[in-house]
Amino acid sequence: MTIPLTVISFAIAMVIAVVTALVQFAGIRGLKELARFYVWVVRGTPLLVQLFVVFYGLPNIGILIDPFPAAVLVFSINEGAYSAETIRAALEAVPRGQMEAGECVGMTYLQIIRRIVLPQALRIAFPPLSNSLIAMVKDTSLAANITVTEMFMATQRIVARTYEPLALYIEVGIIYLIFCTVLTKLQRVGEKRLGTYGR
Amino acid sequence: MADDLLRVNGLSKSFGNGMVIQDFGLSVDKGDVIAILGPSGAGKTTMLRCVSFLERADSGTMIFDGKEYSLSSPSRHDVLEFRKKTGFVFQNYNLFLNRTALGNVTEGLIVARKMSRKDAEEKGMELLSRVGLQDKGNSYPSELSGGQQQRVAIARAMASDPLMIFFDEPTSALDPELTGEVLSVMRKLAEDGMTMLVVTHEMGFARNVSDRVVFMEEGKVVEEAPSEKFFSSPEKERTREFLSTIMNQN
Repeated sequence: MTIPLTVISFAIAMVIAVVTALVQFAGIRGLKELARFYVWVVRGTPLLVQLFVVFYGLPNIGILIDPFPAAVLVFSINEGAYSAETIRAALEAVPRGQMEAGECVGMTYLQIIRRIVLPQALRIAFPPLSNSLIAMVKDTSLAANITVTEMFMATQRIVARTYEPLALYIEVGIIYLIFCTVLTKLQRVGEKRLGTYGR
Repeated sequence: MADDLLRVNGLSKSFGNGMVIQDFGLSVDKGDVIAILGPSGAGKTTMLRCVSFLERADSGTMIFDGKEYSLSSPSRHDVLEFRKKTGFVFQNYNLFLNRTALGNVTEGLIVARKMSRKDAEEKGMELLSRVGLQDKGNSYPSELSGGQQQRVAIARAMASDPLMIFFDEPTSALDPELTGEVLSVMRKLAEDGMTMLVVTHEMGFARNVSDRVVFMEEGKVVEEAPSEKFFSSPEKERTREFLSTIMNQN
């Protein structure tokens, strides 16, 4: 469950992050404040608390969510907020003059964002986002606390049967390490393939 | 005034603390090359940016190609229409960094004008060869020198077959040895009959290429004259002062 949990949550998080970052970058009134509030709340509270609120808290007001979707929900929202900040910073790092140049050749704001600014921003944001993905692989172990049988929960169950905590917890640690090593390699390949526009 | 292409009336603009441009007026005939001179802080760049809608003026109107525009609250449609008929060259080139030289020239044609990629690229290559960069089509801006980047920017501004091109200090960010290549492209453009409004510090260009000089200070026109006359027999005391300072530096 660790891999699907990470992949699905991260994919949704990227969508949330790009939208949240663009809303702030474009300074759309109303939505911009909403985006800021969202980032403020999510970044200011522990992930574990968010998981508990959604899984154990919401049933109090009649909202029951199964463990896996609850975990996906919380991880996407959490990661979305962090990555939104990364992408917003990357958008702002793209030299502004290009937007004026885009206007002057008759492009609309959306065309400029989509074709000129966002591709450059995502290129800038790629290394920090890869970093977030790697962090997220490990954070998914927290989902064990809301009964999602991901890798860590599975290990705990085996430990309960075999009484071999040291060996088993080291083993699960090594598996996380392997996942992250693969991702690090993928990041390198990705950075190469994305190119640097001639730099 | 049948050849009147651009006429600016009553342009004013202030930024917070003070007036940058006061009741500025200008008229440009078709084929005119006009150099805007003046000390820094005179409002030259701001004027150019207001006239091309990169900045909103506090007041003022403009007639361009027979159509009247508000400089303070233009409609989006008006701005787009104006952009289709004009080009703008920036001091810092502002090339699209994720596009090649050719991509920079074709971007507007493909996206804003819905030209087919093939036609756009054909036209793009032709424009790049006009600025002497036919062999740099596949280079990214980061692989080009400042002078080459600015020439790409000029090709990009020419792509839409504009009636007029605005230049905002096009050589100010360049190393001295690179200004020549940009100026010679501009000179060629002027000889081909392009209407140009050029904010510049290049006295040689103002004197030898432009038809008329507008000398600005503190947001107002101090003196406006045909280039030859402006340099040989300026009327205003302030103009003479400015010219002698400049000439002594060189």
